[in-house]
Amino acid sequence: MAIPGQSSDTAHLNEGKTMRAAPRSRKKLAGQMKSSKEIPKDAIPEVHIPTFVESMFGGPLVPRMRFLPADKMVQTLQMLSGVVMILLGVLTYVVTPVSGTLWFTFSEMIGVEVLGIVLHLTIVLAALGCGFWGIFQRDARFLLASYVLFILVSLRFASSKVTFQWLPIEGEFIEKVLLIMYAVFLVMYMELTNSVIRFSMLDTSIRTGEVYVMNVKKVLNRYHISLVITPVIAAAVAFLTLMINIVIPAVVGLFSEIAATRLRESVELTSVYGVALGTMIVFLVVAAVFGANLPARIQKFRESA
Amino acid sequence: MFGSLAIALYMLGLTLRNQQLVTVAVVLLSFLTWAALKAGHADVASSGRRLEEKTDEEAGVSLSNLSAMRKLSAARVFEDGEVEVTLRVQNHSPLSKVLEVRDSLPEVMRIKKGANYILMELGPRRETMIEYTIECPLRGFYTIGPVAVRIQDTFGFFHREKELHVYDDFLVFPKTEDLKDAFVKSKVPKIFTGAVNIRQPGPGSEFYNLREYVPGDPMKSINWAAYARMGKVMVNERERDAVSDIIIIIDSRAVSETGPVSRNSLVYGTRAAASLAQFFLSRRDSVGLVVYGDEIVSVDRDTGKKQLYVLLTKLAGAMARGNTPLQVVTNRILPHINKGSPIIVLSCLEDDSTIVNAIRDLRARDFDVTILTPSSLEFEFDARRLDRTGYEVLKTERDILISELRGLGAFVMDWEPDMLLSTALAGARGF
Repeated sequence: MAIPGQSSDTAHLNEGKTMRAAPRSRKKLAGQMKSSKEIPKDAIPEVHIPTFVESMFGGPLVPRMRFLPADKMVQTLQMLSGVVMILLGVLTYVVTPVSGTLWFTFSEMIGVEVLGIVLHLTIVLAALGCGFWGIFQRDARFLLASYVLFILVSLRFASSKVTFQWLPIEGEFIEKVLLIMYAVFLVMYMELTNSVIRFSMLDTSIRTGEVYVMNVKKVLNRYHISLVITPVIAAAVAFLTLMINIVIPAVVGLFSEIAATRLRESVELTSVYGVALGTMIVFLVVAAVFGANLPARIQKFRESA
Repeated sequence: MFGSLAIALYMLGLTLRNQQLVTVAVVLLSFLTWAALKAGHADVASSGRRLEEKTDEEAGVSLSNLSAMRKLSAARVFEDGEVEVTLRVQNHSPLSKVLEVRDSLPEVMRIKKGANYILMELGPRRETMIEYTIECPLRGFYTIGPVAVRIQDTFGFFHREKELHVYDDFLVFPKTEDLKDAFVKSKVPKIFTGAVNIRQPGPGSEFYNLREYVPGDPMKSINWAAYARMGKVMVNERERDAVSDIIIIIDSRAVSETGPVSRNSLVYGTRAAASLAQFFLSRRDSVGLVVYGDEIVSVDRDTGKKQLYVLLTKLAGAMARGNTPLQVVTNRILPHINKGSPIIVLSCLEDDSTIVNAIRDLRARDFDVTILTPSSLEFEFDARRLDRTGYEVLKTERDILISELRGLGAFVMDWEPDMLLSTALAGARGF
């Protein structure tokens, strides 16, 4: 006897399948089926063959995950990324003059110099536009385009020395500070926009129950602290590298004042090759630290304390 | 990727004599180096060996002080049953750690409640409990574990992973259907009384007939109403209850797994065998089991609840492998089965040319043979993997085989996937 309000079939008892007392008419079903030699779609397992670019980078460049609407954690990161991007846009415009770029050379060749400036500005604006779209739509493809455009705008044949065409800045120290700020903001922009995608993935996984996060606030706090500390350290290292034309003569000056003066006046040391030398020295120290397995040793010491 | 970008920018900066690019590269490298330093990710040591080659203690200092324990709510469940898993993760180190913990589950398991993937901050010398519930939709032997633990730097550039080898096994029995009657009984009584009447007078519960009193009959069997009516002392005779030896034969050849993972002949066969075993054992019959695939696995007849679990365990572990013919099975088991015992065969009847001969042998020795045959044709047809012509041809061949088997006196039921077992059994016996 059928219970009022409840289906009379047995679907609720057996994985949603209706159990019947008599077999179905197979012939009738067979009659409805089309005679086709095609392989049914569900018979072919889904296999993702990585593209050439994916195999080169060891995985997809942009995640294909669909995100749920952004929560507070992601929104904060989006706002922060937006602010950093605007500052980066301004700094990019300041520290990357149009002279020496490919488009400026081209516009000079055709005799319309203003075209080069317009193109330069367009690239910066396009980078900002792509960035905005990427950040707020959480579309990693646009973010990638934005990174490429930000790097593209600074690709130019330079005369080895730092030149700021748009801002009449004089003084090596200020120049280098601005340069480091630009570099730090570019790296921070990449990291923050990356984190928008990363935390969106995490947030979606949390809300779909795929992952459970204990003490979300503590985990986020750690990230926020790192967001402050890491750029400061990176800036300090970069500053040390860029100021190598002062550091090396100061060290050499302990032994020979004449040699130090010569070094101070050397064009090479103040040029990009001086920076390369500085980088080499700094990273030789870092390599030595890693070579001696110091991070693991320090960790071991802390773990056993 | 960031590392490659940094190096590319650095090289490009030097080539183009562009300080902007070199500075960006330096900042990026510093950023990465700091992250690596914080994550303790000195990948290549001074000796030149990679970390994976080192001892466990050396390789993952930050992970060496972690341990895990697991507890399951049940070690044996039926299909669609649930198991509650409690994972305890302990941090023995004096440092706080942000950990990603993933408890590895068999692919077929579904998480019903909670999560097996946790991101957490575990304080110094603290422990935490992770609880989740899994649903087990398919029979089999399963193992949960290992526990994968991962530590990564806050930016997600570097990570370090370790597997904690904590394993827990559990068993999923095929689910059973409640049967009211299996319509199967032995023609030859055994000396012990059971719950099945066999149409012979003797000790039992069902009325059989009336007969005249003979000295020695118990007083309680006298039918006083009949005595008053007929004028002579009459006693009630009862139908003898007896136990039967039931032999269930399961086909677990490779062909029996044709069809979707959760809907194929073997899945239905094991569920039917479990239901039948439960039913027969509950009425005190002896039940034996033969599973044949790449080898013949048999469980000798016995009674009781313990036997049920022995049978369920064998059914849980039945794997679709090999192609042993049915005749090989019958030749091997025939000398060991009591004459007249009911035999229930659960097979898709495919890809075996010895079926007719095997059933003929059984019938020739007067065994009561019931064949329930879940057809893989139907599973394939339902999954739309078989076209109309193919289905019709194969179905006709199958119908001919079934008719032939019926002609030998076996009770055969072409078991449709959506049909209840009790209905299929009744259909097989002609009810």
